[in-house]
Order: sequence, then C-alpha cells, then structure tokens
Amino acid sequence: MEDNIGSDDGSIKEQDRLLPIANVGRIMKQILPPNAKISKEAKETMQECVSEFIGFVTGEASEKCRKERRKTVNGDDICWAMETLGFDNYAGPLRRYLHRYRDLEGDKANQDRQ
Amino acid sequence: MAEEDDAASTIRPDLPAGRVKRIMKLDRDINKVNSEALLLVTCSTQLFLEFLAERSAQVAAEKKRKTVKLDQMRIAVKRHRPTSDFLLDSLPAPAQSVDGQSAEKVRSRPGAEKPAPAGTRRIDDFFGKPVSEVS
Repeated sequence: MEDNIGSDDGSIKEQDRLLPIANVGRIMKQILPPNAKISKEAKETMQECVSEFIGFVTGEASEKCRKERRKTVNGDDICWAMETLGFDNYAGPLRRYLHRYRDLEGDKANQDRQ
Repeated sequence: MAEEDDAASTIRPDLPAGRVKRIMKLDRDINKVNSEALLLVTCSTQLFLEFLAERSAQVAAEKKRKTVKLDQMRIAVKRHRPTSDFLLDSLPAPAQSVDGQSAEKVRSRPGAEKPAPAGTRRIDDFFGKPVSEVS
C-alpha cells in the first residue's frame, strides 16, 4: 500500500474504511430529539466507532470459522459473535431477520459465495 | 408470527452494504463472507449506531446540552460494558477533543497554564506553592 500524502488516493482509502458520514449523520439525527445537534467531531467519531464494531464482530466470527476449518463466514457465525461479544440483545432480532431473509431467498442465500 | 414480522421489519438498514463489506475485508484473515453474514453485519451495525446515538443523547440531556459531542459519546461508551471493552481505547483522548470542553477548562483558570515570561518568577514561587496545583 502506497502512502499518498495529500493526494486524492489518500482520502479514498480513508473513505474505504469508514461508512459515509451522510448515512451516519442521518441515522443519528433520526434517533436524537428534534432540537438536538450533533457536532462534526461526534459524527466523525461515530464513523470510527461503527467501523470498529464491524471489525470486531467480523473478527470474532472469522475466528470461529478458522477454528472450525470453514472458509466462509455465514449468518449464524455473526449471530454467535453478537452473543459472545455481549450484544445478545441483537441476536434475537438478527436471527428473526435472517430467517425471514432465508424464507424469501430460498437456497440462493446459502449458495452465495463472495 | 406477527410479532416476529414486527421485530424483523424494525430493522431497516440504511447503510451501504458494499461499503460494509469493504470494511469487513480490511481484516486480512477474512476469507469469504456470504450474503447472510453481510446482511446481518449491516443490520447490527445500524442497531449499534442507533444504540450509541441514543445513549449519547441521554448523556447530553443529563448535562442539559443540546449538542451531542465526543465527550458525551465517551461517557455513553463507558457506561455500556460490551461497548467499552472494544471501543474505549479507540476513542480520541479527552485532551485531543476539539469540541471545546477541555479548552473551556483551561480558560477558566486564566494565567495558570501560561508560561511566565523569561526572567520573571511567578508569585506563587515566593510562597512555595507549586504552580501546577489544580483541582
């Protein structure tokens, strides 16, 4: 990986590891009371926080796959990771969402390989 | 069954799955990720974002502030054990906050942080008090 100081390539790389601030800001705004404001720094921090979350969950799920000698991380691995990391209150809604998705998608989801 | 549908429909991912996938793949140990996994990570990321925003807003409200800033987010992170376990160390240190709260504290003690001009001595030196005492 080259270090492109001050060029557009550097900023593109930054955006590759963060979710768009527009989406992040919009979701925050929907949660906050109508008259509340969010500092720019808070939005940027939230971008970093959610990327950390993604990496954290993915890493845990991936580790499970590695131990079980599976190459593909699947939905159940993600649910398991949530519970392991203490976000078990997400596991329920996620599993329900997953079952609904599977009903809709049929076998296509299970065969999907990235 | 209706309850399950309600629970499932409350998750409406508003995040770009492609970008989520790219972030997942930053980890070199990640081999392959199927579409279910991507979907659930996208959904759970949204849940987490909403959760942290809500908690941060609560902290701001407690402190009678209208603007959610980094300091409120930090407190919200600290208050939730699973989140603080993985996130607290990643947050910028309080001194680096540019939101102004740290700066306000400095300004409230005028002169305490300013270096004395060369050749002079602070009046506290005469009385034997350390300049750096703060409460």
